[in-house]
Formats: sequence, C-alpha cells, structure tokens
Amino acid sequence: MTRAAPEQSASVTVERNADDRLPGLLRTGLRDPGNWVLFAVLVVAIIVGASTPRFFTIENAKAICASTGTIGIAALGVTLIMVCGGLASLAVGETAAVSGMVFLTMLGHGLVPALLAATLAAAVVTGIQGWVIGAWRANPIILTIAVGSILTAVGARMSSTKAVAPASEAFEHLNKTPLGVPVVVFALLGLTVLVQLLMSGTRLGRLMYAVGENRAAAVAAGLPVAWTVACGFVVAGALMAISGAFSAASSHTITLEGANQLTFNAIAAVLAGGTSIAGGFGSATRTLFGALMIATISDLLLLRGAEVGTQTLVKGLLVLVVVLLGHVRSRRSRT
Amino acid sequence: MKRALALLLGRGWSSLIPLAAFVAAVVGFVSLPVFTDRPLEIYDLFNLFEAYAQIGLITLGFGLVVIAGEFDLSIIGIFALSGVIAVQSGQHHPFLGVLLALVIGCVFGALQGLLIARFRIPSMPVTLATYIALLGLTRVIGHNQPSVSFENIDTTLWVQEPVLQVFSPRSLVVLGLFALTALVLGLTRWGRELRALGGDRKASRTSGIPVDRRLVALFAASSALAVVGGSLAAFNTGAAITDPGAAPLTLGAAGALIGGVALTGGRGSVVGIFAGTMSIVTLQQIFIVSGAEESFTDLTFGLVLLFFVAVNAPDARNGFVRLRARRRTSTSAAPKGRT
Repeated sequence: MTRAAPEQSASVTVERNADDRLPGLLRTGLRDPGNWVLFAVLVVAIIVGASTPRFFTIENAKAICASTGTIGIAALGVTLIMVCGGLASLAVGETAAVSGMVFLTMLGHGLVPALLAATLAAAVVTGIQGWVIGAWRANPIILTIAVGSILTAVGARMSSTKAVAPASEAFEHLNKTPLGVPVVVFALLGLTVLVQLLMSGTRLGRLMYAVGENRAAAVAAGLPVAWTVACGFVVAGALMAISGAFSAASSHTITLEGANQLTFNAIAAVLAGGTSIAGGFGSATRTLFGALMIATISDLLLLRGAEVGTQTLVKGLLVLVVVLLGHVRSRRSRT
Repeated sequence: MKRALALLLGRGWSSLIPLAAFVAAVVGFVSLPVFTDRPLEIYDLFNLFEAYAQIGLITLGFGLVVIAGEFDLSIIGIFALSGVIAVQSGQHHPFLGVLLALVIGCVFGALQGLLIARFRIPSMPVTLATYIALLGLTRVIGHNQPSVSFENIDTTLWVQEPVLQVFSPRSLVVLGLFALTALVLGLTRWGRELRALGGDRKASRTSGIPVDRRLVALFAASSALAVVGGSLAAFNTGAAITDPGAAPLTLGAAGALIGGVALTGGRGSVVGIFAGTMSIVTLQQIFIVSGAEESFTDLTFGLVLLFFVAVNAPDARNGFVRLRARRRTSTSAAPKGRT
C-alpha cells in the first residue's frame, strides 16, 4: 500500500485530532470503513438472531464461543501473515490438520510435549514458506497451494490405514470447561493478548507493519525483510498448530476433510475484522471480533437449517465485500 | 529453425523450459512399458489425451490470465459450478445445459473482470473471494450432495467415444480450443497486447491498448474455458463433483508454470502451456499405471509447483544474478590486485 504524501498525511492527523475530541467509542469505530462490515453484520445478526429460535440461549452462546476458539486461533496466525505482506495462506487447514495428527500421535509423551512437537513442526514448515516469500518475493497464494498439496499427501500417509487416534487421554485437558467456558476460549483470549503485544509492543511487530506497508521501502531502508516475514510465518504456523490441536482434542481425531473450511473461515475472520489484505494494517483484537462474527454467522445459518454450501457462499461474499471496501478505503487515503 | 522456435516459444533460455517439458513428456510416455510390463498400446495415447482434456482448459485459462499479469482462482469455482449447471439443466438437452453454463460463466467472468479493471483492484484477493463463494454456490445448487449424477448415458458415451482411435469428442474440443486460442493470439495483435498487459501495465495503457476492455474479455474468456472444461468433465464422468478440492488448481498452476508462463506476468505462450499440460498429464499417467498412491501424486505435484513458484519469484532471480555478478567482479578484480 502506498502511504499518503507527507503534506496530505499532516492534514489527516489534524482532522483525526479534531475528531478525537468528540466523545463516543461508537463514533471512532464508525469513522473507519473497515469496521462498517463488522457493524452491519452485528445489526443483521441481532435482527436475524431474534427471529431464530434457540439463538439467544446460554447453550448456543457456548457453542459460538467454542467455534470462535478454533477459528480465531488460526485466524490470529493469518493476521500475522497478512500484516507482514504475505497476503494469505491457503494451507491453513492442511497445516492445522497435519499438526493435529502430530499432536495426537505424540500424546503418549504427555500433553505439553505433544503440543510442543505439533507447534514446532508447523512453525518450521510455515516459517520456511515465510522466508521464501520474504526473501524472494515468491507468490504466497500459489506457494501455499503447493504446500497444501504436499501436506495433504503427508496427512494422507499419516492416516492411510485408519484415522489418527490419540495416543493417550491427556488431550482431555483441552476439552475441560473451567467456569463453564471451554479452555479453547481462554486460549484464544490469551493468545490474542500475546499476539497483540507482539505486534504493537515489540521491534519485530513494528518491522512486520513496516515490511507489509511497503516492502520496497523496507528493503531500501535495509530492514531484515526476509527474517521479518519468516518470523511472522513461524508464529502463524505455531498458531495454526494450536488450533489443530484443539480441534483434534474436541473430536478425538482429525482428518483433512474440513481443511478447506478452516482456511476459508480463518481468512474470512481476519478480513471481516478489518485487517487489510494489502498488508501493513490490522491487529489481533480486530481478528478476535472477526472470528466471533464468522462463528456467529455459521451458527445462525446452522440454526436456520443452512448447510455447508450456504455457509461457504455467505463467507465468500463477505470476503468479497470486505476486499472491495478495503480497496475503496486505501484509495481514498491515497487521494 | 531457431527463428521458428523463437516464434513459437519466445526468446531466452527460459523459453526452453516448455520444450524440455514436452521432450520429457514424450520420453515419459514412451517409457510407460517400464511401469506396466506390457508394450505401448494405442489406448495409452487415448488415456493421455483424456487426462489432458480433464485439466487442459484450466491450465489454459489460468495461464492466459497470468500472462496478462493477473490471477484467476475463481476458475476452479466456475469449473465445479458449470459441471453442476450443465448436468442439472442438460439432462435432456446437454447442449442447452452447456450453453446456459457458458452464459452464466461469461457474464460472471466479465463482471469480475470489470470490477478488477475499473477499480484497479488486485485480482488475487477478489478471485479468492469469488472462488470461495462459487464453491459454496456449487454446493447449494447441488443440494449439498458430494455429486450430482447425469442420467443422460448417451451423452456420456458420446463424449468419450474414440475418434481416430486416440481422440474423443471431448479431447478434440479441448485441442480445438487450444488451437483456436493459439491462432487468435498469434495472428491478431491480442497476443502481443496480452503479454504487454503483463509486462508493463502502465506502458500498455499509454501506448493505447484498451486495457480495461482487454481485461474484461480476458476474465470472461478464462471463465468460458473453465465452463467448457467443467461441463465436459461432468458429462464424461456421468456426474458433477460439487467439491473439486485443491487438486485442479495445483495441476492447473503447475501445468501453466512448467509451460513457461511467468508468475510475474508478461511471458508465456499457448504452445508452451500445451507442452506444460502434456508433461503434467504424462506424469499423472505414469503414476496411474504404476499404481502409485494418490498421496504420492499430491506430493509430487505439490513439489513441482513449489519448485516453479520459487524459480518464478522475482527476487530469487535477482539474488541469483547479484550472486553471479559478485562472483564475476571478484574474479576479475583478483588479477588486477596482483599487478
């Protein structure tokens, strides 16, 4: 994305300061077109939800939270990829599934070693992709399609004779519901805070925004572009693995069947939260809301009897609208 | 000879890749008996062309769009959708089914192209979104079943009936579309304009190429190719698959890239894409006759695509050139230091 010329950005700052004096969180939120989709969907969800039986119940709220968990953790990973200019990964589902299989087979050594093995494997595999994308400017979408195909082969090998089964019962810790809320929700909240701290509080985070905003400028400034993107992908891979471990734990096995759905959900969640697909703009908290939104939409559609097809269609259209709006926004900031 | 080659494939060492791929394909095909323990038979060639007909139009559509410096992931969605539409509305009159799918596909492609050209939106995110949406729409229309069966057995038999022993009506249609595209791009200025669009968008705009109109036509054409491919595939199997998975995209992208299409745009040819597709298809046939597992096929094509994406990365080449230049300067600087 191109930055506004200096004199223009100065006038924008003045305008912002004037606006900040106006009270109201809503006003600040509404000024950003990136949030329009979020608000629009919120309003539609409340209206449609009110007319859907069983939507406003505690059980349903829990169900939404649980599915927000697995989508959200993977989406945090996609957020990092998008912010550092890596567009998106089309191998999110495959990475999560294969590391979920690693997690299940390693459970014999205990919960923590199994989680570590899964995250490490995914971090290395995804990190290498990040390095190739960062250093050589390889096309991220086509690259991750290729990796998805390779991981599908690996996953099919691992589950060729029968579905991967947990090596011990240690995974049940991930299915607990302290205070009546699934562990995955706590994990999502904790990871959101960590990723947000990484992005806005560390040098690496600032490097990621800089590289994503304008790669050529980052190269010219002598920033470690390749390593920044690689680090973003490493953390992203680890997050995909954690998401995979949670969904493996909840269904006691994991297959490659739903891989595409997780990929689409994660990308849709990040974009719906308002993170820019062009790179250099976005945050973990945005993704948290995006994931909540995607999970709510899925839940609403499910309650109203819509199957996978309708859900995918709605998410695809949502992504399209967000991409178009995001483009309009970036053009407006340029002129 | 050299000029004829250059005319067909383009210039530079990289233009030799599709030629090498084609030679590899021929060698691979001739060595099929090594894997089957029986001499080559005429239906091996028939099978080869059938496999080519299955993915050929996706490689062509994907390749053409990439030459122009854009991306079209939505063709996989169109491929699946048109199969379902052609099957559902073509049970009695298959031709009408294809026609309906073609109209829908072209309108969709043109609108998508208009959106991308007018607002100058990067095509990757847009077509990623429409790819997801179209896969969903296909499932909705297909009533969330894994496949929609085609009851018109006569059409299924006709589509795969051998013609001249090695072809079928389906593979002839695909070959014909390749030839037509090659002729149109070779004989009119559209071929040069297509490469110009991908090579330097700004320069082609200033030099008077109606960029927006060309992009709209291009996206409509890639959708149309996917429609023909998708409907014929559905007729051929006797069922339309509602979720094609990622395999067609992997194969399509790999075929186009092996065929010498540059991911950065501006380079590639229909003849090259044909050669790339044939080499992919031959490899596929070798796997099939040697009874390799599906996962092995996924792995190989994934690795092939990975290799070509890395080779096509703009800065990989720059890095290589820089490395070579550094070595050259250090060797030429060394004797100077001694004197």
